[in-house]
Amino acid sequence: MKKILGILITLVAVYVLTAMVGDNFLSAYNQEKLLERTALFGILSIGVAFVIITGGIDLSIGSVVCLTGCGLPWLMVKHEWPPAIAVPMVLVVAALIGLSHGLLITKLNLQPFVVTLCGLLIYRGLTRGFTEDQTQGFGGEFSGLRAVANEKISLTAEFGIPWTWVILVVIAVMAWIFLNKTIYGRYLRALGNNEDAARFSGVNTDRMIILAYVFSSMLAGLGGMLFVMNVGSAQPSNFGNFYELYAIAAAVLGGCSLRGGEGTILGVVIGAAVMRVLYNMINLVTWIPTHIEFAVVGAVILVAVISDELVKRAAARRRVRG
Amino acid sequence: MKIGTRLILGLLLAAFALSGCGEKGPEKKKYGVVTTGVASFWDICKTGAEHAGAELDVEVEVLFPNDGVEQKSKMEDMLSRGVDGIAAAVIDPVNQSEFFDEVADRVEFITMDTDAPDSKRKVYIGVDNYDAGRMCGQLVKEALPDGGKVVMFIGRLEQDNSKRRRQGVIDELLDRSHDSSRFDVPGEVQKGDKYTVLATLTDEFDRAKGKANAEDMLTKHPDVGCFVGLFAYNPPLILEALKQAKKLNVVKVVGFDEEGPTLQGIIDGTVHGTVVQNPYEYGYQSVKVLHALATGADAEIPENKFINIPARQIRKDNVETFWADLNKKLIGE
Repeated sequence: MKKILGILITLVAVYVLTAMVGDNFLSAYNQEKLLERTALFGILSIGVAFVIITGGIDLSIGSVVCLTGCGLPWLMVKHEWPPAIAVPMVLVVAALIGLSHGLLITKLNLQPFVVTLCGLLIYRGLTRGFTEDQTQGFGGEFSGLRAVANEKISLTAEFGIPWTWVILVVIAVMAWIFLNKTIYGRYLRALGNNEDAARFSGVNTDRMIILAYVFSSMLAGLGGMLFVMNVGSAQPSNFGNFYELYAIAAAVLGGCSLRGGEGTILGVVIGAAVMRVLYNMINLVTWIPTHIEFAVVGAVILVAVISDELVKRAAARRRVRG
Repeated sequence: MKIGTRLILGLLLAAFALSGCGEKGPEKKKYGVVTTGVASFWDICKTGAEHAGAELDVEVEVLFPNDGVEQKSKMEDMLSRGVDGIAAAVIDPVNQSEFFDEVADRVEFITMDTDAPDSKRKVYIGVDNYDAGRMCGQLVKEALPDGGKVVMFIGRLEQDNSKRRRQGVIDELLDRSHDSSRFDVPGEVQKGDKYTVLATLTDEFDRAKGKANAEDMLTKHPDVGCFVGLFAYNPPLILEALKQAKKLNVVKVVGFDEEGPTLQGIIDGTVHGTVVQNPYEYGYQSVKVLHALATGADAEIPENKFINIPARQIRKDNVETFWADLNKKLIGE
């Protein structure tokens, strides 16, 4: 709880502030949309959190989103694969991507930054290749499958829980159990703190690192499919551009240390939510010019991280004195 | 050693034989067509350019850069490889005009789709985006005959064509005089007698963002009357947002360009209409004019150095014929 206090306060502050000055921020429709967007980006963020906990990084997420987001309609519309085969197939491809990252990082000792940076270039290039750089879309079909990403469970006449949010909660709970209630979660954190120490204590560190990269790529793959199902079409040249940075930012905001060993799933989800509320705020508050949005998002994140650090230091001092 | 020598000799021979294959008498003229990005719009342009290339028996290469920086480097590479003329859709007309002058000094250089009016380009082939914007504004007036609130969505506003297109819509809705040099700041609300333009939102080509922009505007302005999508992919994203919000037909939609969902929307009645350009003709005319310039023939360049390829309004009555013709051009028949 202590670790996520800073980011939780930030979320509440941004939320309350926007509710006060933004137009119709609290409307049922807007709340639904915020849940939906937080879920889509949150899924990517949980994936990268696993990798960050091992002390690694995954820069390929945006391109995996592109590969899977363009790949799904490409398989289903152009090649007429039924969803029941296309969806698992895309997930398998994503898993293989994660597996190859993990193997290159552990067995060849390559740096995660380099491996996944090459991935960032390769998967987007490949996608632009096999789609011949054409926009891929569902063309108004497959509304049944797409409902998963753009329909909701209606609670009242106005408000409902988006299905993407349900998916996020399921994934978050599973990730939380894995990290906190299984021995593997402990291994993962141990190797993030000190890989050598973990290895000498008998942890198969290679296997755990590979697993983390597989999780990251699979969740990016799932996210990519949900994104395209939500939006309707994807263009290979820019679909998912920069999404790895949104995911990494959310994970770090949520308490993951880029030095490894630390991270909470709830914090990561809250981190993703902060980013989405910020973007929403910029659109809803009239006096913020929309084209300075990056500056606003960057500044708020920086303030959040600084205050988090100051709170931690104050707490540490108090502990020493006490 | 012996095997190695033989291998090298063999390879040399093979290389010699291959290079011999490339010689085909007098070399064909070669032209480059440079677009502003990747879109089906540019594929149609490519078809037009290739058709002209086949007719004139010249080589045509079409490039699809993603941004201004990539556009410059790809054009430089093209110059290094050797080319007789380049037709470019300019991403950043003001800051890159020096570079375009450099290009114009070395080869025949013209602009198409988006202009760089201050460069040494020989001619601009395209639509007057201000006029096209006004046509788009007329469609909005038809969709909302009693007036109302309008929000516009666009990929980016730096390009000359985006600015003029947007300004055209505003000026038409506010019944202003015909003056394409006007520029209203994007953040300001433009209020006329009947119509109010609330905002213009950009998404930098991020589709999730484009859709989120439309959703946020539904939240912020529940009484909005019409959404205008000014880049090809904007109207389909608007339709996705409206569909999920169950506001199709409640909020009117006017589009630009001819993506499938936009045309389908016109047929279904969820989109009032769209303004289409003629990218096929941009590509076709570009290559023809370049070839005339490079071979010293009369390129028939008007005095104002602008070859106008007018835009058209597509509504329910002409959408099906238009779509059928478009499909033919897209497959490159």
